[in-house]
Amino acid sequence: MPLTSQPIDTSIYSAITDAIKTEAERILTEGQVTAVVGYAAARRKGSAQPIIITEATDAAKLIFTAACVNNLAVYLTKAKKEVPKSGKIGIVVKGCDLKALTGLMGESQLKREDLYLIGVPCAGVLGSTVQPATGLTTDTIAPKCTECDAHLPTGCDFVPLQTPVTPELEQKYATEIARLEALTPAERWAYWKEQFSKCIKCYACRQVCPFCFCEQCLCDRNKPQMVDTTPRPAGNTAWHIVRAMHLAGRCAGCAECERVCPMDIPLNLLNRKMAKELKELYDHEAGFEVLDKGPLNSYTDKDDQSFIK
Amino acid sequence: MQKYISQQNLTTLLDILIAQGVRVVAPRMNAGTPLYEPLESAGDMVTDQLPRRSAKEAFFPVCEDIMTYEKEGQKVTVTDIDPARFPETLLFGVRPCDASAIPVLDAVFSWDYKDEFFLERRRKTTIVGLACTTADDACFCTAVGLSPSDTKGSDLFLTPLEGGGYACETFSDKGEALINAHSSLFSVPSGAAALPLAEPQTEKFDLKKVKAWLDEHFEDPLWDGAAVRCVGCGACAFVCPACHCFDIVDEGTEKAGTRRKNWDACGFWKFTHHASGHNPRDGQPKRYRNRIMHKFKYYDDKFGQTLCTGCGRCIRVCPVGIDIAGIVEEISKKQE
Repeated sequence: MPLTSQPIDTSIYSAITDAIKTEAERILTEGQVTAVVGYAAARRKGSAQPIIITEATDAAKLIFTAACVNNLAVYLTKAKKEVPKSGKIGIVVKGCDLKALTGLMGESQLKREDLYLIGVPCAGVLGSTVQPATGLTTDTIAPKCTECDAHLPTGCDFVPLQTPVTPELEQKYATEIARLEALTPAERWAYWKEQFSKCIKCYACRQVCPFCFCEQCLCDRNKPQMVDTTPRPAGNTAWHIVRAMHLAGRCAGCAECERVCPMDIPLNLLNRKMAKELKELYDHEAGFEVLDKGPLNSYTDKDDQSFIK
Repeated sequence: MQKYISQQNLTTLLDILIAQGVRVVAPRMNAGTPLYEPLESAGDMVTDQLPRRSAKEAFFPVCEDIMTYEKEGQKVTVTDIDPARFPETLLFGVRPCDASAIPVLDAVFSWDYKDEFFLERRRKTTIVGLACTTADDACFCTAVGLSPSDTKGSDLFLTPLEGGGYACETFSDKGEALINAHSSLFSVPSGAAALPLAEPQTEKFDLKKVKAWLDEHFEDPLWDGAAVRCVGCGACAFVCPACHCFDIVDEGTEKAGTRRKNWDACGFWKFTHHASGHNPRDGQPKRYRNRIMHKFKYYDDKFGQTLCTGCGRCIRVCPVGIDIAGIVEEISKKQE
């Protein structure tokens, strides 16, 4: 593990941008899709934003850079009613984003035949705390990318012929989970209490999550009110625990919740811890295959029974 | 009144006030995030980063109790929270984009209904502004007619000087009273040059033109283009120094509980959701339109002010890169 910051090669992104533009233009012109969800350059230097295009002439706006951080899968869920979903839709996906789509297919939210997947060979994207124009380095890379096992998405309709070169990186979440697991329960509680104290209930974590597609979130209900809505210790803790539990076995680690948290709460740690439990208990990893039922929705006689005492 | 204070004397001043029981609120780190929060010691202060949330919460907290109730048999006892118990406060190290929003908020909180929670905290707070020496490309205070050295909203304003220390200038009786009560810590102006100030790069908006366009374009394709990708969270409103909508909820049991006031945001679908099930703002573009209209038209219609100080926080935190400066720039161009 290098001690100093090392640049990460993103030179393939310009060829990928060209390939995405050409492919999006082709599928829109040929009428294979009604829309393409991708990324476009934004006003701030080096920044990118999600874009939904329906005209072939707009394909020229599409880009892929290290600032293309969003998981665009969220726009295909029923929670985003503003995005028209008639016909087949093209979507630009990194390997991590594809896992969310795989999960959504398993949960009957999407059908593979309704999607045209433009996969991106990805060397990594920027972390949320750096300016968008920053170069990608071992320091500025998003924490999730340090544990990436999906640099080259599989099973897509189109993937530009590029191979990302990725250095060995310190696994940020594994390291932090190990540190937290070594603490006493009281110390761990103190850590999360301090983190949750910053929560302002803006629900950015929920709104960007591809798996938060409930028509009405339990936390928005007031008859009966299940969870305190005020940004105070009780309600904040309840919200983040409800969220982590509801995503257990489903979240594949796109880490959008953590990226968008304006208060820097390390939310993906909760999700990664849940994923680790699911791996240990049920040998389950979310996002690799379309499953009708996840491990928490099914029972087999091989399931761990040790909690029954 | 113009004075000079050294860094060391400033630390002494804040520690004296803390020891006297004054609530000193200033930028500090909380679990890795810079926030305006009460200091336990002047040494905890961190002024080189823009706090993630604005200074409005010194007057308008994220959540506050406004009333408690108790029920015993048929007897119900309701107890108001008494604003008189709010502590004397020094709000220190406030960036001009935050301080200038406070007089803007005064207009709405002292309009038809006098919000004693806000107003009592205002009366008891002295605001010390600090000239801004760092900007990124999300900053646009100069575009909305303010500047990194704008003294609007400050009782006392500090400008960092070459060679250390600060030039101090008072803008109210509260500011003078603070200096007079600790006059030994202040000296005559040093004459040193100010440190170079931040230089936000966004071009100045013609806010009259922007409003003229908004007056005529409640329905316009621009809203879809701007916000079809909005995911409907409240991050932009919650980090904004000028957004001030709140929701009131009761929490507790049948026997006892508290009525609380929480920040609310027009980006939430629930914000205009009627009991009937109807929602007049039935999509994110309509909700985002309200955000822009409120800031650059409605507040101007009602109070003759703009509800945006160009701090750039909403641009930095938006999960999907919605950029208010870019949108206002686009509107300016349409009106030409």
